[in-house]
Amino acid sequence: MPVVELPHTRIHLQEMNKGAAETVLMVHGMFTNLSIWYFNIAPILAERYHVVLYDLKGHGMSDRSQHGYDLQSMSDELLALMNTLQLTSVHLAGYSYGGLIALKTAIRYPEKIKKLAVIESPNPYEQETMNVVDVYSKELLVHFVNGQGGHSPAKMGKRQLERRHRLYEFLLKESTIRQDMQQERHFFSNGGIKDIPHETLLIYGKDSDCVSAGLELQEKIKDARLLFVNGDHNIPVQEPFTIGNALKDFFETQD
Amino acid sequence: MDQLTQPAKLSEAEILPVLKQFITEVIGEEFVEDLDITAASSFTKDLEMDSIEIVAFSEKVKNYFGKDIDFTGWLSNMDLDQIISLNLGDITKYIQSCL
Repeated sequence: MPVVELPHTRIHLQEMNKGAAETVLMVHGMFTNLSIWYFNIAPILAERYHVVLYDLKGHGMSDRSQHGYDLQSMSDELLALMNTLQLTSVHLAGYSYGGLIALKTAIRYPEKIKKLAVIESPNPYEQETMNVVDVYSKELLVHFVNGQGGHSPAKMGKRQLERRHRLYEFLLKESTIRQDMQQERHFFSNGGIKDIPHETLLIYGKDSDCVSAGLELQEKIKDARLLFVNGDHNIPVQEPFTIGNALKDFFETQD
Repeated sequence: MDQLTQPAKLSEAEILPVLKQFITEVIGEEFVEDLDITAASSFTKDLEMDSIEIVAFSEKVKNYFGKDIDFTGWLSNMDLDQIISLNLGDITKYIQSCL
């Protein structure tokens, strides 16, 4: 299992097409892991780019951490990963909570990012939407675990149930992830989003509860384009080939 | 186990035990003891593997069988539902066809 040691944690990562001239770095969402990119979306990008996927701390096969899930800490982690891999600048893509981390990184380290793609990130101010996203995330895991379409939770095996249960118990009860995100509720209004200089692609599901967040980001980011695809918050699973090709086209296109 | 390189031309019957070993390494021996792993075993229904464990399994396959097979490329043509319903016989056949 490829891991990198960062200052405060050990991170699981996967790389594809190492040696390509440009890199795409991809950040998954809350309660999921890098597998959301690994099977379909990343291989499309790897036709041309060096692709780096990693499990956020507390997720997937990375180390658990009780603290530091605020966007500043998570963008520090992202930067530490880039430095460790000696990546001077990357195209950056994030899904949901991972998109918020990508936005924060673009604000703090604009010179490190070439183009920015944000998929289905909610506005942290809308706690109701955040809760919906949370529910979606749980269903997404069930979807992954069971290999069933739609959103109907289905029967899980005992070992899977125990793994899921441990993940939620840890993140929601033993870590500060909820409180840390509560403190980010003004991120869209105070967080410097309007100063993001990057060419930005926003991808949202037509039926998603996060559509208003996509519209708000489009309005605030100077050079942003909003793309709607069929589906809801789960579009990376529902439309992986559409998203993979949209990202590839976006990163390839010259100004 | 996944450090070996250049496996000789293997039969399907020889590949299956290698895959079983990878599954043991990914999900742990204590769970494998309770499972009857055969060519008909599917990732999720029978082996109860989730997507990140399938990633770890894929990495082991790639490291062991090397550049002769493009395992991730093969998987990337399937949607997630197809991937997680694959059984070990499907994977064995694919690997065998590439060696």
